[in-house]
Amino acid sequence: MSSTLKGEYGGTARALFWLALRTAMLTTLTLGIYRFWSKTRIRQYVWSAVSADGDSFEYTGTGLEKFLGFLAAIVVLALYLGAVQMILFYFGLTIFGSAETQVQAQAFSQFGALGVTSLAVMPLVFFAHYRARRHKLSRTRWRGLRFAAEAGAWGYVWRAMWHWALTLMSLGLLLPRMTFCLEKYKADRSWYGDAPFHQGGRWQGLYPAMKHLVIGAGLILLSGAFALSGAWVMMSLWGVLGVIWIGVGALSYKIHSFTYLARHLSLGDMGAIKFDAAPDTWTILWQMISGGLLVSLATGAALALLGAIPLAMIGSDALPFGLAIIPLVLGYMLALAISSALSLIWVTQPILRHVVAGCLLHGASVLDGVVQRNADTDTDAEGFADALDIGGAL
Amino acid sequence: MMLRVSARYYDGANAARRNVRVILAEDGTALTILGGPSAQAIHWPLGRLRALPGRAVPTRMILALHKPLHSRDALLLDPARLDIGDPPLIAALQARCPHLMRRDLRTGVARRLVQRGALAVAALAVMLFMILPRMADMLAGLIPVEREVAFGRAVVAQIEAALGAADLGAADIGPLDCAAPEGRAALEAMTARLTDGTDLAYPLEIKVLNHEMVNAFAAPGGQIVIMRGLLEKAGGADAVAAVLAHEIGHVEARDATRNALRAAGSAGLLSMVMGDVTGGAAAVFLGERVMQASYTREAEIEADLFALQLLNGANVSSRGMAEFFAALAEGGSPALPVYLSSHPVSAGRAVHAEANATRQSNTAPVISDAQWAALRRICDARIRQR
Repeated sequence: MSSTLKGEYGGTARALFWLALRTAMLTTLTLGIYRFWSKTRIRQYVWSAVSADGDSFEYTGTGLEKFLGFLAAIVVLALYLGAVQMILFYFGLTIFGSAETQVQAQAFSQFGALGVTSLAVMPLVFFAHYRARRHKLSRTRWRGLRFAAEAGAWGYVWRAMWHWALTLMSLGLLLPRMTFCLEKYKADRSWYGDAPFHQGGRWQGLYPAMKHLVIGAGLILLSGAFALSGAWVMMSLWGVLGVIWIGVGALSYKIHSFTYLARHLSLGDMGAIKFDAAPDTWTILWQMISGGLLVSLATGAALALLGAIPLAMIGSDALPFGLAIIPLVLGYMLALAISSALSLIWVTQPILRHVVAGCLLHGASVLDGVVQRNADTDTDAEGFADALDIGGAL
Repeated sequence: MMLRVSARYYDGANAARRNVRVILAEDGTALTILGGPSAQAIHWPLGRLRALPGRAVPTRMILALHKPLHSRDALLLDPARLDIGDPPLIAALQARCPHLMRRDLRTGVARRLVQRGALAVAALAVMLFMILPRMADMLAGLIPVEREVAFGRAVVAQIEAALGAADLGAADIGPLDCAAPEGRAALEAMTARLTDGTDLAYPLEIKVLNHEMVNAFAAPGGQIVIMRGLLEKAGGADAVAAVLAHEIGHVEARDATRNALRAAGSAGLLSMVMGDVTGGAAAVFLGERVMQASYTREAEIEADLFALQLLNGANVSSRGMAEFFAALAEGGSPALPVYLSSHPVSAGRAVHAEANATRQSNTAPVISDAQWAALRRICDARIRQR
């Protein structure tokens, strides 16, 4: 066994496409209930496609436990949101009553209510994010050993809220601090068997990753300067360029911070196992743009094709308008399912393949000494994440 | 024939990988694993063998042992794994293991499903049918009238656009608004007679749309829309007056605003339940329609009572209303179901109107015959103009 292991990805487009399409249609036909099983089956596929040294990962989660977790989360969420809404409403009434001008009253009802509601949901989103990650790890195995994360969702919630507030107040300058601290919080509570992960490095180390975000912001400032001097053409030119640059910069930041964090991650009590990653921003960007373009073209074609048949039937009076709705809706849903399956195989999977292929594990000889850790029994599957719709397909 | 192949074995106790030999005897009842962590051979009974589902690499099969009790995972499996890639062995196992692909369920799962399902349904029902409607009622009373009016105009404009687009047979595209001057005057005379002496919270804006649908509805903020089809199919001016009075009842009760608010809230909750499914929006829409129907029933009764009050106050006979409802209940016209879908009807409504009519005295037609004729031609001006 070599001491350095390289990531491999063995998934194929065809198999994943049919799996995604089948499960998406089943999800639609069951009014969304099958989505827990759909997610499970896609994860089983993707997890088992990832391997190192020929040993593949394994996803042991089940659709049933996700569904049960979701049912529990629904109870809490419906009541929590109901109660919070009522309390907010009470405050809304009192503020509304004391608002001295019409403007104030309108401003409240337009932004206040919305803002306060999303503020009420935000802690839940962070909570769900941590719990979902924890559950995902507890259902992931490699070489027969479980991954795990310690309980700590509430600690994550208040840290995340605090860091977000800091980042917003510093106009994004403390973004690396937020990224690093939150990742460290999660990594330092994660385990492979009885070996703990440890996130090394410093948060200032993420500043180089922000390069393109800063350039984009600079371009927008430049555009603002042109706006002040009334040069509208220059303003819009630099403004558009700046917005595009920020978008690319956000992706570049995500990729570079991932690389930095992976290179400073270690596993084991002595930190004997190290990691490396080498994702390339341009490869991923190109995959997103070209894959995304292909998906939207194919979706358009599928919609046109599947929509044309029922419309032609109405045109030729073969079907009354009311009945034609059914094939139209079915065609629309099939087109959407095709679209989501295509984006999985043309965007998500190629990017995953690229990232996994660049991952390295150094010090594999230490792995034999890692033993199984006791399982966590109190995971609620991903009920909250499912209810709040976090995490996408994977 | 005895199968003897090499495979990868993970004992589930530590992360070491062991290259083992696996033996499946011709008539054996177990898979024998040699070269595991201990010197002794490991025997896996074929009846307890399970293959992991949904693997991406079809040429390999991962085996585990069924373990019904004390499993720490969601799957009822022993932690040890055997990774085989030998096609003849895989084929032999598929043929000889009776439960290879079985999904084992924990005992008591059905009970937990029912319990949690009932709780979730109860919580949702409380939200949808008790808390959200109360909130919508409160909020409807809170919105400033001028914003409600603006919202209502937007709603009417949207409906107008939708009707114009859906009416494939209509040659013209443009505003459907009917505004023949004599017809408008007749409509205003009817409105004035009905609302005379009644203090309304909203200035009424009544429109007639050039569409064959037999329907009328109230949008938020005093907006009332009557379709040409209703003017044509109604038995007389008194029936139209009854419909108008009914819609004024909806306006005064702020039913449209309440419905809109409630729809926003419950659609949010329903979409949370449905998840981000392909086509989930359509399902949410259907669910919302069902709820709407149960909600409007009481609002309809209230609006009927209000309409009878207006008619009585204006000394207009409610017999026209009774006849209109009776016609609806019989389903006389094929175009009527549209009206039914938004105005659930019962025989009781016609009976109430009729009973009210017998108590009335000194009634007079709501507008003159000449005015009624003008109202029925309210959409003609446009046709002449073209």
